[in-house]
Amino acid sequence: MKTQSVLFITAIALLLAIPFLLSQGLVDAAIQMLIAALFASAYNLLCGQAGMLSFGHAAYFGMGAFATVHAMNALDGTGLLPTPFMPLAGAVGGLLFGIVAGYFSTKRSGTYFAMITLAIAELVHALAPQLKDMFGGESGISAMRMPAWGFTFGSTNEVYYLTLVWVLLSIALLFLFTRTPLGRLTLGLRENAHRLRFLGYNTHRLSIMVFAISAMFSGIAGGLQVVSNEAANYVLFDAHLSAAVVLNTYIGGVGSFLGPVLGASVMTFFGYAVSDLTQSWLLYQGTLFVLVMMFMPTGLAGIIASLGGLHKRFGVASLAPLVVLSVISALLLSAGGTFVIEMLQRMLSQNYQSLASLQTATRWPDILLFGQSWPPASISTWLVPISLLAVGAVMGYLAKQWVQILIQREALKSESNQSEKEVVE
Amino acid sequence: MVSAGLTLIFGMMGVLNFAHASFYMLGAYFAYSLQGSIGFWGALLVAPILVGLVGVVVERFFLRRVHHHGHAHELLLTFGLSFIITELIKLVFGNYPVNYQIPDALNFAAFTIGGADYPVYRVLMGAIAIVMFIAIYLLLTRTRVGIVVRSAIYRPKMVEALGHNVPLVFMGVFGVGAALAGLAGAVAGAFYTTSPNMALELGVIVFVVVVVGGLGSLGGAMLASLLIGIITSLAISIDASLADFFALFGAREWAENIGGLMTLQVSSLSGSIPFALMLLVLLVRPNGLLGEKD
Repeated sequence: MKTQSVLFITAIALLLAIPFLLSQGLVDAAIQMLIAALFASAYNLLCGQAGMLSFGHAAYFGMGAFATVHAMNALDGTGLLPTPFMPLAGAVGGLLFGIVAGYFSTKRSGTYFAMITLAIAELVHALAPQLKDMFGGESGISAMRMPAWGFTFGSTNEVYYLTLVWVLLSIALLFLFTRTPLGRLTLGLRENAHRLRFLGYNTHRLSIMVFAISAMFSGIAGGLQVVSNEAANYVLFDAHLSAAVVLNTYIGGVGSFLGPVLGASVMTFFGYAVSDLTQSWLLYQGTLFVLVMMFMPTGLAGIIASLGGLHKRFGVASLAPLVVLSVISALLLSAGGTFVIEMLQRMLSQNYQSLASLQTATRWPDILLFGQSWPPASISTWLVPISLLAVGAVMGYLAKQWVQILIQREALKSESNQSEKEVVE
Repeated sequence: MVSAGLTLIFGMMGVLNFAHASFYMLGAYFAYSLQGSIGFWGALLVAPILVGLVGVVVERFFLRRVHHHGHAHELLLTFGLSFIITELIKLVFGNYPVNYQIPDALNFAAFTIGGADYPVYRVLMGAIAIVMFIAIYLLLTRTRVGIVVRSAIYRPKMVEALGHNVPLVFMGVFGVGAALAGLAGAVAGAFYTTSPNMALELGVIVFVVVVVGGLGSLGGAMLASLLIGIITSLAISIDASLADFFALFGAREWAENIGGLMTLQVSSLSGSIPFALMLLVLLVRPNGLLGEKD
């Protein structure tokens, strides 16, 4: 518990210090990360804790965003709702829409539920550009952040702190929610809804409540997005946003409370850092997601947890080689994979194809990648990723064996301990 | 036709498949790239087989691994796979529509209705769809293979004990479902546009069709796709709005003042009608039009 609170305080201090440490562009990325983290946690309440898989959460995010943009335009940041409280409008928007959508979608469970949420999101996405008054058509609606409480909200840093406060507050509320009786019932909903019904609870109303609360916090995330961007457009309802939150949440790990926060921040950061370098970011994201689903269903948070468990069982000394092995293996594998994808992408791009057809003498001109030029027709070029992948795979295999050996050794030790005891007796 | 494939897979395996629309897209792209070497008809034959093989690989090496985690997990996995397939298509063929055309031999009008030519290819597409529906239906209900497949769904352990290879059956069903989607893509891709977005455009509608028709019901899927097709095309031709409806009661001005939904033309709403229909069906008959009680 003590290390946990130390970690917690360090994390908060780091978050507070970010505007002093990083450039403006990175602070902007940090705002996006925070918003994504809140969105993922809100999603996790529904998906991880209540076990309801939603594929249309962008709808509630978008509703919150539009509610906020209208509130910003209508109230001018004066009166009862100054700028810092604007995400509240998003919360109300998300909540109201969540109650309506939740009523329909929670009529069914499991995969039906997933499809209904998907259809509702698509319905909104198809309707939004038509309703010009409400959603501003194709061009969207823009608004201005008004000064309030002595802050101008003109600089990125002030927006960052506003976002940070809202995100921390919301995540804390979400965490406290899991401690309430309703939060415990949410888990029951996932584990055994039939039993809850036998116990006399109205599961449909319960599901609507959970759904609406999740939608409300998604709405806050949407509101924060608007406060940061000062504009909203029907693209917010796009299926990509719903997909991103699913991917982020699962990559982070649905089992734990902070997993989605971790996943969303990491993925958003990578998305920000890499989007200029590659055109296939979605491909990497999808591949990572499939790998997570297949080999480590508990996600990033699950890895950390199991690492902690191994640490307790075997100590640092025998664990260090394992960690080193698996980290190197993961790095090599991803380097090899990246090489292949980037190389193929450059080879198959339109520019390169036309270049290749122009230069008839050398059928395949060299490709510039990672600061070096590679002839795509020669074997040596392709040996690089193949060897990277091969060595990575071997390392991964060794790491797996290492765990096996550790477990066997432990079993042997406890056996010998037992036999010693028997001898003593 | 895609919804037939999807229904087949879901009804038979309990796997709802996000990647199905991607198989449809793969079919179109395979047919496009094969067209040059073996001609249109050859491509129409080979592309579904290739897609079916991809489906088999997906089932064998991806889905089977996570089968014990449950439905939601499988659904998510196919979701991720559909992402990867779309991105790979973009990588290989570029992020723009490719020039996949109907062969000239088929590009003429079958007959003329009210001055509008009705292309023969449309007739062909309809014919293929109907033949496929009938073939699947007969296969599942009238043959020995169909009996084994259907019983493998309800009591996999029992069927296995009787000496049938259940994992092979599942793999086959998934492959056939994928191949059907591939055929649909190969046929439809030539008529509509073949682009990396076609999976997304189709995918959602297919889900709506399946929910409206009732999961696992072939007849329901057929009925629902017909219903949605007819209503949507009817809606496009209606040039009226709710305000006109209120005008019948002399409340036109009031309705127009409200704006928003009231003044929207029905024709511009046609895109959202399938979803509205789905919500309606879920309210009135949650199991779909022809779905069984669960």
